[in-house]
Amino acid sequence: MKQMSCEHESGVIRALHSGEWSSELRLHAAECADCRQALFIAEALGAEALRVEAGFRPPDAHWIVQRSRRMAREIAMRRVALLLAGIRALAAVYVAAAVGWLLRGYVAIQYREVASSMSGAATGFALMGAMVAAVFVVAGLWPILHDRPGQG
Amino acid sequence: MEDAGMIAAWITPGCEQTAAGEEGFRQLYEVTSRPLWGYLHHASGRPDVADDLLQETYCKFLLRHAPGMDEAESRSYLFRIATNLLHNRVRSRDDAALEEPAETGAQTNEETRLDVQAAMRHLKPRERELLWLAYVEGMSHAEIAAATGLGALSIRILLYRARQKAGEFLRPQRIKL
Repeated sequence: MKQMSCEHESGVIRALHSGEWSSELRLHAAECADCRQALFIAEALGAEALRVEAGFRPPDAHWIVQRSRRMAREIAMRRVALLLAGIRALAAVYVAAAVGWLLRGYVAIQYREVASSMSGAATGFALMGAMVAAVFVVAGLWPILHDRPGQG
Repeated sequence: MEDAGMIAAWITPGCEQTAAGEEGFRQLYEVTSRPLWGYLHHASGRPDVADDLLQETYCKFLLRHAPGMDEAESRSYLFRIATNLLHNRVRSRDDAALEEPAETGAQTNEETRLDVQAAMRHLKPRERELLWLAYVEGMSHAEIAAATGLGALSIRILLYRARQKAGEFLRPQRIKL
């Protein structure tokens, strides 16, 4: 079975659309089975296109432009919100790192001073208080880090 | 030529924000919306899908079109966006089934109309796209390749197969030269 179309098919279809037929092309189209079939299908589809498109009422172009502008604004807003969320996440990481770095030196100094003056029970109580404080800090950071763009 | 001038004015970067730019878009829209809708309608088989995708196509075009496109490039780009949206729709929902097109006129031969509908119903969306772009829009193989994302070399054979398949449902005795 032949698997490739006639090389003149594109020219025949162009001639059909433009109406500019050369005598050679017209003769070829009359004799070539591929081109005859292509012509018939093109005419049938063209007639169907005219029939269906006759009932089409396109929406107003101004409305399309307005809708595209709304889409552009929404896309810009999403990008800005994403950028802000990224900045907030970086800020939260920076604060946590800075606090950790400051506390590391401070706690080491304080622990030595407190440990030398406190009993075992008082030290345990102080550590428990520090843990509760840490839980509150994490709970406070959670909504900031999980705030989705577009939720204000 | 006046339309082409308006469209060229609109294609100037940033021009779509002005009244003149919008008028240029309106001219492009008037020239292309009907054939684009016809393409979407026949490729999807559904007028409601064609309505949705037509609007989405122009919105995306307005957001993404590159400055300096001429009318032919804009038209080709519109068909490319429409084809991509069509493929996304077919992938995301199983609504590729062809429905009976709405009755809008009775100027064409009734038997041919029914044959065309039967042929389109039996073709895959990709085959409908190729036939429509080649035979209704009169696009070259290179233009079809750009619009569909297929390789330019494979268009010829795919189009041949689609035509053979469509030919099985259409009656060749009506050929008029």
